[in-house]
Formats: sequence, structure tokens, C-alpha cells
Amino acid sequence: MAQKYELKSKEVWDGNMAAAHALRQAEVDVVAAYPITPSTPIVQNYSQFLADGYVDGEFVMVESEHSAMSACVGAAAAGGRVATATSSQGYALMVEVLYQASGMRLPIVMTVVNRALASPLNIHGDHSDLYLGRDAGWIHLIANNPQEAYDMTLCAFKIAEDERVRLPVTTNQDGFLVSHTAQVVEPLQDEDAQKFIGEYKALNPMLDTKNPVTYGAQTEEEWHFEHKANQHKALMDSFPVIEEVFAEFEKVSGRKYNLVEDYRLDDADIALVIMGSGYETAMLAVDEARKEGIKVGLLMPRVFRPFPYNEIAKKLANVKAVAALDRSAPMGTTGALYNEVAGALAANGQSAIMTNYIYGLGGRDTTVEHFLEVIKETNKNAEAGKRVTDLQGFVNLRGPKLSFN
Amino acid sequence: MKNIGNLKEFACTPDRFQGGHRLCPGCAHSMIVREVVNATDDDLVISTATGCLEVCTSIYPYTSWDVSWIHIGFENAAAAIAGAEAMYSALSRKDKLYNDDRKVKFVAFGGDGGTYDIGFQSLSGAVERGHDFLYVCLDNENYANTGGQRSSATPIGAHTSTTPRGRVSYGEKQKKKDLTMIMAAHGCPYVATAIPGTKHWKDLATKAAKAISTVGPTFINALSPCTTEWKFKPEETVEIADLAVETCAFPLYEIEDGHKLTITYRPKNKIPIEEYLGRQGRFSHLFKPENKWIIEEWQKNVDAYWEYLQRREEAGV
Amino acid sequence: MATPKEMLTTWDKIQFGAVLPSFEDPEAKKRSKFHSYNYKVADWRVEKPVYNRELCIDCDFCWVACPDSCFEVEEVVNKRGKKQAKIVGINYNLCKGCGVCVEVCPTPIKSLLMFPEQIDNEEALNQWPKKEDK
Repeated sequence: MAQKYELKSKEVWDGNMAAAHALRQAEVDVVAAYPITPSTPIVQNYSQFLADGYVDGEFVMVESEHSAMSACVGAAAAGGRVATATSSQGYALMVEVLYQASGMRLPIVMTVVNRALASPLNIHGDHSDLYLGRDAGWIHLIANNPQEAYDMTLCAFKIAEDERVRLPVTTNQDGFLVSHTAQVVEPLQDEDAQKFIGEYKALNPMLDTKNPVTYGAQTEEEWHFEHKANQHKALMDSFPVIEEVFAEFEKVSGRKYNLVEDYRLDDADIALVIMGSGYETAMLAVDEARKEGIKVGLLMPRVFRPFPYNEIAKKLANVKAVAALDRSAPMGTTGALYNEVAGALAANGQSAIMTNYIYGLGGRDTTVEHFLEVIKETNKNAEAGKRVTDLQGFVNLRGPKLSFN
Repeated sequence: MKNIGNLKEFACTPDRFQGGHRLCPGCAHSMIVREVVNATDDDLVISTATGCLEVCTSIYPYTSWDVSWIHIGFENAAAAIAGAEAMYSALSRKDKLYNDDRKVKFVAFGGDGGTYDIGFQSLSGAVERGHDFLYVCLDNENYANTGGQRSSATPIGAHTSTTPRGRVSYGEKQKKKDLTMIMAAHGCPYVATAIPGTKHWKDLATKAAKAISTVGPTFINALSPCTTEWKFKPEETVEIADLAVETCAFPLYEIEDGHKLTITYRPKNKIPIEEYLGRQGRFSHLFKPENKWIIEEWQKNVDAYWEYLQRREEAGV
Repeated sequence: MATPKEMLTTWDKIQFGAVLPSFEDPEAKKRSKFHSYNYKVADWRVEKPVYNRELCIDCDFCWVACPDSCFEVEEVVNKRGKKQAKIVGINYNLCKGCGVCVEVCPTPIKSLLMFPEQIDNEEALNQWPKKEDK
């Protein structure tokens, strides 16, 4: 029996500690993980909890991230609650297994601390790893600060294991900016968190050897399409479950989360779409801009996959110009958020003047001033009634101005 | 540990691995797998690496397995079984097992591709961590499932689709990697070599029973003659396996606790290596006068290794 | 054989996560429709093994060597009270005609011989080589 950890009503945790406590409270049966900066403290903190008797599950210290996710898949198929943590290179190494995990509909939870992908090597925060796993069939939740890292991880278990979903879930937080920045976190007490998540309900467990099952069959041209379509439908149909879980979480914690978060968007003429820690910096820029008379708002997909394109289009219905900020180099085209938001608008017969900004790569600092510049440029487009600025710009890039049209 | 009596008793075991799979006629993989899963009465959870066995026994919507089975990918059979075994430990400790009354044992199958090469890392990791499982390598000395490309288990002089015999090449240039010894060096409680067939069926079954019942990571390297890629007639599979042992090309031995070596079969008359090589189409070019030296190399290597095994057994270290 | 029409389900009726159950009645050991035991690979053959009960000594070599688990056995108890497996026949749905069983059969006149696929088994038994022939 795991020992109860006495928590204060207000703790000072960084994102990693918050995620580690959430994993501890979830009473995970098997954690198979490999250390990688900046998610290493999650693994280390979890080991300390194990060593001090606060965790009674297994912790398999695998020899690579690929084996970490593989062991998670094996353990989840065996029939129990499973979780892991990683970042960038490790995430890239296990990408193959991410597809395999979601194809088998295993409710694994992974706390990813977003970090840039090499080369050149960089250990700081950006969203290249988040974007890499877009199509792997996992649900993606975005956390902007340690409180959200904790909350999202708890919700992740409940969403993943719901029988209407049964899909693996990733919670994302920016490397170093969130993972290593300590802030005030109001955690749930152990028994409240456990009650919220509930008991693990197994589906086709391999360890129920009286009813043997085969996982990982081969489906060729006669079958593969049907299986993938079915899986895609499960993802698309998971929105109501996510909303239900968020509603239940509000009852337990008092904090309300939505599929799409927004800030001062109701009467906005222009909007910035941004995910991660940058969202909070942008909030300060929005307040500044509003003082100068620019009616600007923010929008953030709290759930990146499945992408809530209809909700986003609805919230941007009256906005004249939208700047989508991507924290990952798109390498050859406009950024992912730009593409997906533009698609959301087009799908709903809406149009807004859209521009794309690449910012914050490899942990590059993006300040309130930088966001104010973006707001002012976007405002120019709204006022002109057409795009007068560049299609794709780079924020806080050292050197001559780089842009694409 | 299941008592392996004579074959007439053993044949009463209800088969846990069934036919109707799409393995080639005469495939040694299924001979080995059938014996291994029947060598224990405990419940089993099995993982398999991508390869002939996995592909042919799990073509949706059919499965050939009477036991829980998982396939994830090519390189992670050992990691998958490690995860399942860890879950079993966790659930036992938390008293949440699905069937309290049944003991579950864990077996991973991988071809030489998924074991010697791409799967080596996860095998080494799982063994180092001491999970309680058996890993059986079904060694057909090439990547048979994808058309017979070379692997690090391919012996010297063999014709494979990526080391073909040609005007200026005699085929595979590297010697076969000695994986059995590498696994023994990991300190596994039990490591053994085995072949399928009738003459040595009991050797394989006893080793499998011992390996499964031993607590900790155990490894069996089973030679699996491949009728399609080694190029011999399907009905000759058992004969080719026997020849491998009679020529000492593939000696049968076991190693306990990483060092105590016991040779489990000594051919009464060790026959020349040509008897083994000559029966396989993949070596037919070695019989050309300009390649005779390779056969001599083979004989020298086989003799030296046989000598080494005997000395090691004598020394008892 | 090609996938039977009744097994070819639509996207909304496929197995969850492509997970296949081995048994439809685990207690009774009744295998499910997803089990390859219920699949036929008989059309792979061009020749088939025929089993001669008269000559068989129940050594069970064919049972252990068959890659396709074709040999059907019946458990009997011998004079000394030990259980033994008696060969009762070949599951021709699963047999691919590889011929390994014939190779490993140890009786002086083999109890298993390959015959062309079309031959009637009774006719094959009549054609069996006799001791004089050897």
C-alpha cells in the first residue's frame, strides 16, 4: 500500500514536480521511462517517491525511450495503468511505437516536456516534438504553467481510460520555461485525486489468461483502411468526453478548462493563436495593446489533438485578422497552427486575414515587446482590410529581417 | 518445472500453437514454437518481434495462438515482454491479479533479425534488468520475412539477397555472431542452444521447460533451418537441423549462471562440414574450385569452436 | 483460401484495436472464428500425406515434427498405467503437404507416405508398398 503524501493546499512546484506528483497520485501500475533533459526530473522525482514508499507500482528503468514506450505498450496490453515521460530526441526515438500504441487503443499517459529537435542539438523549449507526434493518434493536451501541467496530467488518465475513448494521451509543457520554473500550484489531496481518476478498468487484458487475446495483428489492403478509419473516428468523437472530464475536474478543483481557451477575444478585431508558456506572456501584451486602443484577443487550443476546428472557427467568427504563432520551424511551408486554423476557418466558410510567425525556437526568449510588435503588425492588416504584412515572419531572430510570402 | 517424459507422454499435451498459419510448408519456426509453448503447463503471455512468425500467425482476422500474445514492432519483443512482466509484478504486489490461482510465465520470440541486430538493445536491456522471462531466438540466419537479406547471424560464404554470390563475390564475408555466448556473458541464469526435430526433441523440450521455470532472464538460441532461404526441399528441414548438430556446425549446449557450460549432445562420429553445406542451395557455390578455401575455413572454425566448448566444459569455469 | 465473405466486416464492426480473442468459449476450449484453426490452408497442397494405422507404432515423431499441428492424437493409457498419445488421423484443413512427417516416420515400411492430392485415401492404402516389394 503506497504511503499518503501530505500536501499543503498551496505548494511551490515546477512543471516537472507537478507532473511527477500527478503521476504519483494516479497510482500508475507500471512506469517505464528513460531520462532526457528537460523531463529528467519527472523520472527522478518519481524514483524518489518510489524509494520513499509513496509509490507501490513498478518502475522499469529501460535502456532507451523506444524500449520505454514498448514496455509501456506491453504493460498496458497486459492490463493495467501505464505512464511515461520524455522530450524531443526521446520522443522522436519512440515515434514508431506511438503509432503502435494508439493503433492498439491502449490508454497510456505520457507527460512530454517539449524541447527542440536536433540538429543542431538544443535542450531548451520549443514545440518541434509536439508537432512531430501530431498524426500518431494520441490525444494532446497543452499546459502553459505548472498548475496546468498537474491538472492536465490528472485529466489525461481519466480521458484515456474512458470506455468511449480508450486512446493514449500526451500532456505537453514547455521545456525549462514551465518544467523548471517554480510557481504556486494548488494540488488535490491524494484521496481526492484518486477518487477523481477512479479505478483502472481493463479491456482485453493479456494477463487474464483464461481469455487469451492477440494484440498487434497484421492488416493488409483488405483491412487497414477500416481499422484506421475506426481509430480516427474514436479521436474525433472524444471531444464530448474531454469536456465531461474538464467539467468534473472543475467540481473537484474549482478550475475550469475548455477545449479552446481564449483571452479578451469576445470583442476583438484581431487575434493571436498561440500555445504554451508564450500564451501567458502574450496575455500581458494584449493588456498593453488594449490600453493603446487595439482590440486584440488570444486563442489557444487546450486540446491540440483532436483539433477543435469548429470551436476555433466559432471563436474567430468576428475577428478580422489572425496571427498564428508556431514554436517550431515548419521547414518549407507555413506553420502547423497557421495551417490548421486556416483550415478551420475555410471549413466554416469564414475568412480572416491570416499571417504566420515563427518564434521562440530552442528556448529563444519572446517578450511582451515582441508580442506587441506582432499585435501591431496584425492590426495593420485588419485596418487595411487585406494582408499588407508578410505571410510568414520570424520573431526575435538575430540578423536581417527574414520573411516569406 | 514440467516433467518432460518420453515423446508418447509429451504428445498428450494439448497444442497451444495451432496450424492454419501461413508459415512456409516445412518451416522450422513452428516446430520450435510448438515445442516451447507445450513445454510448460503454466499460463503464458508471449511477445513476438516482427518477422516470419509474427506475420504468418497474426494475419487479421486470424490468430494461431491459444495464449495471450502481443506483437509491437521489430526491435521490441524483449521490451514488450518486459513491460508485461512488470505489470504482472505490479498487479501481484497490489493484489489485483485477474486470476489469482494461475501462475503466468513470459516468453518472447524473435528471429535472428529481431534478436541479433535491431532487437539486440532491447534484449540486452531486458536481460540486464533481470525480468523473469524466456527469450527464444528463432535463428534462420537471415531476414527471411523480407526476402532473405543477410543478418549478423548469417554465416560466412552464405548466399543471401544482400550478399549474393556473383562474379566477384562469394557471398557473406563476415562470420556468424556468437550471440549465445554474449547472452551468457550478461549473466543470465540459463542460456542454451537447441534445434527442432525428432532426434533432439527432448533436448529442446527439456531446455525450454528448464528455461521457463528458471526465475530470471533466460535465453534459448534455436537454429531454424529455412527451406525457402537456405534452399532445400521442405521435407528436409529436420534432416538439415540434425546435420548441423552432427557436423558440430551448431553444437548443442547449455550454460548456467553465465559460466557453467555443459555440452548436451556429443555426436558419436563428427562428420565433415561438406555434408551440411552440400545440402543447402545457399552454399552450392562454395563447392567451386576457387571457393574450396571457404569450406576449409568453415571446417577449421567449426573444429576450433568444438574444441573450445569441450575445453570449457572440462575446466568447469 | 481467401478471407471468407462473412469475416470481411465493415469499419464500424471490426475488432476493437484489432485485438483478436482466441476462444469463443474458453472453458470448453472452443476456438473462436478468429482462430486460424478454423482457417483452411489445404489449397496449398499438391500432394498429401496418407496415414496407415496398421503400420504405425505411435512413436509420435510425426506429431512433434509437423509444423502445422496436423496430427490428431487421442490419449490412451498403456499397460503400465502411463498415458500415451495414439495417432488417430491428419487434419487435412491444416496440412500444407510439406512432407516432413514422411521423412521422420521411422517404421521400416513408412506409416506415412505422400500421394497425389486427388487420390482417395482408401485407394492410397491399397497401393501401399508391401514387405515383399522391399
